[in-house]
Amino acid sequence: MPELNRARFYKSMNLTVFTLVMVFLYIPILLLIIFSFNDAKIITSWQGFTFRYYRLLWENTAIKAAFRNTLLIAGLATLISTVLGILAALGLENKRFSGRKGILALIYVPLVIPDILMGVSLALMFNFTRVQTGMFTVLIAHVTFCLSYTVIVIQSRLEGFDRSLVEAAMDLGAKPSQVFWRVKFPLMMPGIIAAALLAFTLSIDDFIITFFTSGRGFDTLPIYVEGTIRRGTITTINSLSTIMIAFTLFLVVITKRIRKNLFGSF
Amino acid sequence: MIEAEIKASKAKNNASWLLTAPALIWLMIFFAVPYLIIVIYSFLTADIYDVKFLFSLDSFRQAFQSSYLRTFFLSFKLAFMTTAICLLIGYPVAYFIARSRETIKNNLLIFIIIPFWTNLIIRIFAWRIFLSYNGVLNEALMRMNLIDQPLEILRTDLAVLIVMVYVYLPYMILPLYSVIEKMDWTLLHAAMDLGATERRAFFKVTLPLSFEGIIAGSILVFIPALGAYLIPQLVGNQRSLLVGQVITYKIKNIPRNWPMASALSLILLFVVAVLLILLYLAYKSRRRGGSARQGTDLVQRY
Repeated sequence: MPELNRARFYKSMNLTVFTLVMVFLYIPILLLIIFSFNDAKIITSWQGFTFRYYRLLWENTAIKAAFRNTLLIAGLATLISTVLGILAALGLENKRFSGRKGILALIYVPLVIPDILMGVSLALMFNFTRVQTGMFTVLIAHVTFCLSYTVIVIQSRLEGFDRSLVEAAMDLGAKPSQVFWRVKFPLMMPGIIAAALLAFTLSIDDFIITFFTSGRGFDTLPIYVEGTIRRGTITTINSLSTIMIAFTLFLVVITKRIRKNLFGSF
Repeated sequence: MIEAEIKASKAKNNASWLLTAPALIWLMIFFAVPYLIIVIYSFLTADIYDVKFLFSLDSFRQAFQSSYLRTFFLSFKLAFMTTAICLLIGYPVAYFIARSRETIKNNLLIFIIIPFWTNLIIRIFAWRIFLSYNGVLNEALMRMNLIDQPLEILRTDLAVLIVMVYVYLPYMILPLYSVIEKMDWTLLHAAMDLGATERRAFFKVTLPLSFEGIIAGSILVFIPALGAYLIPQLVGNQRSLLVGQVITYKIKNIPRNWPMASALSLILLFVVAVLLILLYLAYKSRRRGGSARQGTDLVQRY
């Protein structure tokens, strides 16, 4: 049966590509983690196990400040963009809403334009209006790029859910506020959580837009890391990276847990 | 009765305006207006630290000089190659995951998503360790006696390409996966039952049916790759700058040239817009032909 053999061949080819891609995706990250425990100034050859760089990391006040800034910005940007996203998604639920098309276009456009242009445009606007750059301008920028994502994620959840539940609640005489808080809002919750997590991740991850909108003295972690790489003082970056990777894994696991516990497995 | 209905729908409409107002106002002020400012700045005169409010066309005139055209060409070439390689690698991977058993599907997807969630600068930094002159790759190759001297990969265009593929691959795999997963497999089986070979069935049925995923993935890879700054900055060389780097230097480094940065940004924006419109038209004309209908037609042809 040559046909069957060929099918098997394609399948094993796909498996091979998949495996190679996994190696490609994980080797650099694994090496980074391993070398964070390497007892050497030169990062590349193994000189023995140490926790030294984690201690140095802990003693580094600039990193701690950058870490605080990152979490502060990510937390606030997530909060603001998720709240605005919930409101907008509820407004866009009405299919006959006269502003629907225009607003949707405005929400989608930022997603298909290179990030750097948002950075440049905000930097020039803050210059034009003579606004002092710093935490406040970074926060504005982060909310701006997170907003499109939160609206879209929450909106797609709203479109996907079972309308009959809301109608049933209304038929059974629930007040509109009860329908919203007891039925609709809980149904929106997976979308809201997904949106918030996405916003949080995007905010922590961003380099370029922050680079354009932050002033001197307000570093987020990516800005700090880029600076140290540029100056060549990278001894603590391995350990810092490892901690951030661990944090990512933690977020992924938490997300899976939340989904499983609250909403069943999907 | 009808009047009451009209009233209710008007009230609903007003409620929608009210609910969307915060997001709308936010995006108007912090997304739309800043682009107007780019337009204004692109017609001003450069100054070392700031801009002079004097009208000038210099920036656009300079933007079409050979050095900038070369920058755009290089950026295009790299973004295009990144997209093509991501598609070539991403398709089999997406296909493999989509065809896996339900129970392991989600876990396989998580493996694709974890790097995607990991901080960008960290992933780039990891590649610096891997590719550098006395880095892990060179060390391993020398130990295996495959090379005598370390290869200079870091700080080349090749390094930029590798890391770009690495960073943007999940953006290609995820949309491909979602279309392949939802694909109507009966069409493929029908084609093969009617005597199409596996390869023929793939090119004539599976591939056209995943067209939407290919387009979505390509946009998601090509556009950020075109505007990339951090990747070429950290692993590329300073001789072949990409447009993202040039724009950033003109804004950040002294002597500043904000009008030039604005003009280059507008050109980049224009190029992206043209590309998206072309793709949209291609998508629409295909829709009219109907990708699903086309699939059925093809099956009937066998």
